Amino acid sequence: MSGERGGGRGRGGKKDDKDKAKGDRPRGGFFRRRRVCKFCADKIDYINYKDVRLLAPFIPERGKIQPRRISGTCAKHQRALQTAISRARQLALIPYVTD
Amino acid sequence: MSQNRQYELVYIVSPDASEQAVADLHTQVEQIVQRFNGTLDKTENWGRRKLAYEIGHAREGTYVIETITGSGELMKEIDRRLRVTDTIIRHLTVRVDQDLRVADRLRTERKETQARRRTARGLPPEPLPSERRGDRDDDDSGDMGLEGVEGTR
Repeated sequence: MSGERGGGRGRGGKKDDKDKAKGDRPRGGFFRRRRVCKFCADKIDYINYKDVRLLAPFIPERGKIQPRRISGTCAKHQRALQTAISRARQLALIPYVTD
Repeated sequence: MSQNRQYELVYIVSPDASEQAVADLHTQVEQIVQRFNGTLDKTENWGRRKLAYEIGHAREGTYVIETITGSGELMKEIDRRLRVTDTIIRHLTVRVDQDLRVADRLRTERKETQARRRTARGLPPEPLPSERRGDRDDDDSGDMGLEGVEGTR
């Protein structure tokens, strides 16, 4: 019983079928969202506040923190991300607001 | 009272300050650390960097990061000193030992689980470079940003 799961990438693939959304989502197909927590997937244990390139994808144009429902980050990592972003903001690595 | 904790200190030096001034500040910090029997583990100088927003009238600044092991009193003293120094436009101290320990533990746990599962399946505990699961089309992370950061407007 070699238990081949379809495609071999357990979690990610399965989830995609489940929330078959894309159509459900308002303005579907804008970005193809990968609804997996980036930090879980890439096994990042410590969210470093000095790493702008790590934080940048979670800060859209306006400078606000991207909500979990859009970025797909898990609750635990979203909390850690929050503190990392606010530290980076204090250090002027990331803007508080941009308009 | 004074356990050894690890802290990360980041400070931004005003762009008007000369390189000599930056070096002087570093030695000042070092002296305080020594006086309180701490250790200065690492120093990083990022050099001049553009700020994401203006602080005072400064648009850029020199970033210096020091990793310090020592007591809370030590950090308090450093904080006080940096606060009264005019050339420092911003500083931040973060205690990192706990977070790093947690991260370390997670990493070793993951390694162990992986090794255990792999040996249960009769494989060598470490994955060979050849069996990397044809690594995913992961790098679409670029399409969501990096723009918002540098261009302040």
